[in-house]
Amino acid sequence: MDAILKSELQVKDTAAPAKSAVFWRPTAQTGLVSWLTTVDHKKIGFLYGVFALFFFLVGGVEALLIRLQLMLPNSSVLTAEQYNTMFTMHGTTMIFLAIMPLSAAFFNFIMPLQIGARDVAFPRLNAFSLWTFVAGAIIINLGWFMPDGAPNVGWTGYAPLTSKTYAPDHSVDMWIMGLQLLGVASIAASLNFIVTIINMRAPGMTMMRLPVFTWMTLFTAFLIVLSFPFITVALVELMMDRHFGTSFFEVSGGGMPILWQHLFWVFGHPEVYILILPAMGIISEILPTFSRKPLFGYPIVVFSGASIGFLGFSVWSHHMFTTGMGTVATAAFALATMAIAVPTGVKIFNWIGTLWGGHLSMRTPMMFALGFVWMFMIGGFSGVMHSAAPADAQQQDSYFVVAHFHYVLIGGSLFALLAGIHYWFPLMFGRKVSEFWGKLSFWVIFAGFNITFFPMHFLGLNGMPRRTFTYDTNLGWNAGNFIATIGALILGVGIFIYFAVMVYTFLKGEKVGKDVWDARTLEWSLPNPPPEYNYRVIPTVHARDALWYIKQNPAEIAKEDAAKAKIEADHGGIHMPHQSIYPFVASLGMFVAGVGISAIDHDPTPGFWGKKIGITLIGGAIMCLGIYWWAIEGNEGYHLHLDEDGKESKDKKADHP
Amino acid sequence: MSAPASTVPAHDHSHEASKFQIYVNVAMLLAIITGVEIVGIYLPFAKWIIVTGLVILSVVKFLYVIFYFMHLRWDKPFCTILFFIGLVLASGTVWALLALFSAKDSLPLPT
Amino acid sequence: MSSHAAGTIDHHHDPSTSTGIPNKKLMMWTFLASDCMFFGALISTHLIYRLHPAPGSPQPKEIFSLELTSFSTFILLMSSLMMALAVTAIQKGNVKSMRWSLLTTIFFGTIFLGCQVYEFVEFATLKNLTLTNSMFGTTFYTLTGTHGIHVAIGVLWLILMYVRSFQPPEGQRTFGWLFKNCLHVSAIVGAVLLSMFAILGVVHTIQTGGTTASYFASHLWMIVGFFATIAVAVSFWRQKTAVNFGEANAIDVESMGLYWHFVDIVWIVIFTAVYLIEYL
Repeated sequence: MDAILKSELQVKDTAAPAKSAVFWRPTAQTGLVSWLTTVDHKKIGFLYGVFALFFFLVGGVEALLIRLQLMLPNSSVLTAEQYNTMFTMHGTTMIFLAIMPLSAAFFNFIMPLQIGARDVAFPRLNAFSLWTFVAGAIIINLGWFMPDGAPNVGWTGYAPLTSKTYAPDHSVDMWIMGLQLLGVASIAASLNFIVTIINMRAPGMTMMRLPVFTWMTLFTAFLIVLSFPFITVALVELMMDRHFGTSFFEVSGGGMPILWQHLFWVFGHPEVYILILPAMGIISEILPTFSRKPLFGYPIVVFSGASIGFLGFSVWSHHMFTTGMGTVATAAFALATMAIAVPTGVKIFNWIGTLWGGHLSMRTPMMFALGFVWMFMIGGFSGVMHSAAPADAQQQDSYFVVAHFHYVLIGGSLFALLAGIHYWFPLMFGRKVSEFWGKLSFWVIFAGFNITFFPMHFLGLNGMPRRTFTYDTNLGWNAGNFIATIGALILGVGIFIYFAVMVYTFLKGEKVGKDVWDARTLEWSLPNPPPEYNYRVIPTVHARDALWYIKQNPAEIAKEDAAKAKIEADHGGIHMPHQSIYPFVASLGMFVAGVGISAIDHDPTPGFWGKKIGITLIGGAIMCLGIYWWAIEGNEGYHLHLDEDGKESKDKKADHP
Repeated sequence: MSAPASTVPAHDHSHEASKFQIYVNVAMLLAIITGVEIVGIYLPFAKWIIVTGLVILSVVKFLYVIFYFMHLRWDKPFCTILFFIGLVLASGTVWALLALFSAKDSLPLPT
Repeated sequence: MSSHAAGTIDHHHDPSTSTGIPNKKLMMWTFLASDCMFFGALISTHLIYRLHPAPGSPQPKEIFSLELTSFSTFILLMSSLMMALAVTAIQKGNVKSMRWSLLTTIFFGTIFLGCQVYEFVEFATLKNLTLTNSMFGTTFYTLTGTHGIHVAIGVLWLILMYVRSFQPPEGQRTFGWLFKNCLHVSAIVGAVLLSMFAILGVVHTIQTGGTTASYFASHLWMIVGFFATIAVAVSFWRQKTAVNFGEANAIDVESMGLYWHFVDIVWIVIFTAVYLIEYL
């Protein structure tokens, strides 16, 4: 936190001219208010990261409890009900509250820097996304503190288990409401990123010169805006079934529970690509840097990312091979699923091609990246095994599936994100993680992860079903489960080491200068940590791997920069957005309304001013006021004038009228 | 947050003046097509002919609104591409879902 | 802010962006692509349940009033025309013409909403089609109701944009102005709601054998309220103070216009896939 707050190049005095008193213009640079009103993509990214890592630990505890329960047959560490809650919350937390926001942290912090921008297209919308995410995260977890308990219907919430008949209390309502808020946050953020990447690139940064991480951000954002509407509708229909007596998924009223599965997985499958594409983007930055070679086959890697994104919408029913869809449907989805393995495989070949003949530097980020390539490949193999519908008939709902998705999600997404944290740590905080401790955490995590999940392939093929709280001792699953739990504990130790090292480095780690890895992309041209305004002069991009060109042609770039600095100064200086409290207010309103809808009982003497409706309306009013103020407060911002060293010069111009 | 758009020379004005006329004409056309649709469903043709006709007329209305009222005709092609990504994906998914639920194996069991 | 002479901003090209497309426009088109998927999911649900209706299900042909729905379709198309004219007006810097066009758009939008409320009430009370007593009712109300909510949000946005066009320059935005602003918004919202429910009330009264006069006699507050809101709106309309709204704000009106037209094209799809198709 210090590193961001006390950057020498941060502007301290945003002396805005006297504006109307109606709109509060927060100018705090430190303290709680500065965080609540920030519109700086770097601070917002940092907040996403902090929340994500917190929830990652929560999800990890839930996982350890699951593994402890399954360590021995006929165990009673957890009751069946508690177990259901654990696997539900573990899945929901890890997917929506850990991996996605951690990816969002990087989208926010790194992407604008990579395209040479000073912020995202809509800074206040960015803040709104963050706080709405927090609101959703809280609502999903509220059940822990209430007699209803946390949601316990699986992260996929299948009907009719989620109906009022089988899940009569509020836990499912809070699950629904939390997910809806998370959906709003994700869609808003993704709209922002799409406009930013397409419209706010530095001069010369053509689409085919974009860093691959930025490309993957773009594809992920498209996946989000196009897939989330389906789960929004599914959740609305479920809420209506639960509270308004409709029968969307209720057989007794003429509904079809299978419809839930379709609507959910039309979202759910693109969701898994949402989880993996950012990771692939990070790996595509790290491998070239630590191989001292450009990415092999850049256009193909980009095109494969697009193909995966697009084809990802055509495979959803491979989660439903055993639901009796009929031969034609099953075959169609099986073929599409096999097809999607092709661009994925192409990427693997290109990463290997990047490594081939390169001067490999085995630093910690590289270790995680290499781990990714290998582990994700294993996960891909088990995935392709699933795509054969006849084989899937045995594998569906068994531990084979659990093994598959943990290999792609931990071995894939998580490894890449952990790599990204190590890789970009020096840029964000000006400190570098110690190689010894970083590598140690990697090996312990790597070992623990494989010991946990590799046996699950066999457990699954030997018939152990998912989501069952215990097993009998004579089924042949004892050894596999025992080993897996030991692995989980080792993994827990590894994560602990990783976190401890990270916190230590953040506070007291070795300070480093700029561009510590001798990297190729623009973000490394900035001071560590970057100043609030990012680029003193917007760079001109001459080639892919823009920073490499800059480093090879310093004289040309220096001349260019000097000319551009002059032009920018003549035009009124650097334009910065004002901080604002209204996005936070709008999110707060949504939170209150969400609690009203999902967590409050109906008033026993119903009326317009009952507790439930009252709280919901108050929340709605706060949200509307927040949005309205946001709309009318104006976004003129203020201007900065910097001298050559990036220090603010004395003559600060007033805002444009 | 973008700076004000650039200025253009005045020759664009004729383009602007006829926009009003274009919009009114399109609106008239849409109203007429709606009328044709309503009459059409009562005509004594085979169901598939009428359904096809309705769909075609709706598509025509749809296209006129997006290309004229929503200005796609005069905007950069990327806007059109962007919208059609969503449109095509949505249509494809709707079609696939209907196909799935029409399959023999998906028919509800006789009660 | 509006330092350009009227008609001199190029509304098709924003040089500060990489593509020349203004940021807000790009975002709105992306959002509309997303909204296509949203309505796609709702339309899928409806059509799936129409594939194999259970025996004894309501017959849409006996419930629908094609005349009413065609009328409201026509109304929405006209509102789209008015919206397009509002955008053209502000692109030429003509704030007054834009305001008239916005008001007519609001007017037509309100009529559409009124028709929908009327239709829902008819179906629920006279045709025994409720949200929960059949799958058809469930999916029909959910799909068309969601569309109606989109229209209502659009009408609210139009009202807010209309009032926004009266915003004074920076220095005069005091708490007094804020209060008047909220009053202005409330007045227009009030006028819209009062007129809509008054007309619906009159129609209902006439259908059940009463007279217009008797309705208003028992709902005098509606007439009074309506005229009060109109008086407030007119007094704001006649103010001659300078406003901070002009050609530079055209992008906001245009983005809103895109949303409004989208709501129209969704209705074109719904009209075909929900109403017309049942008549075959």
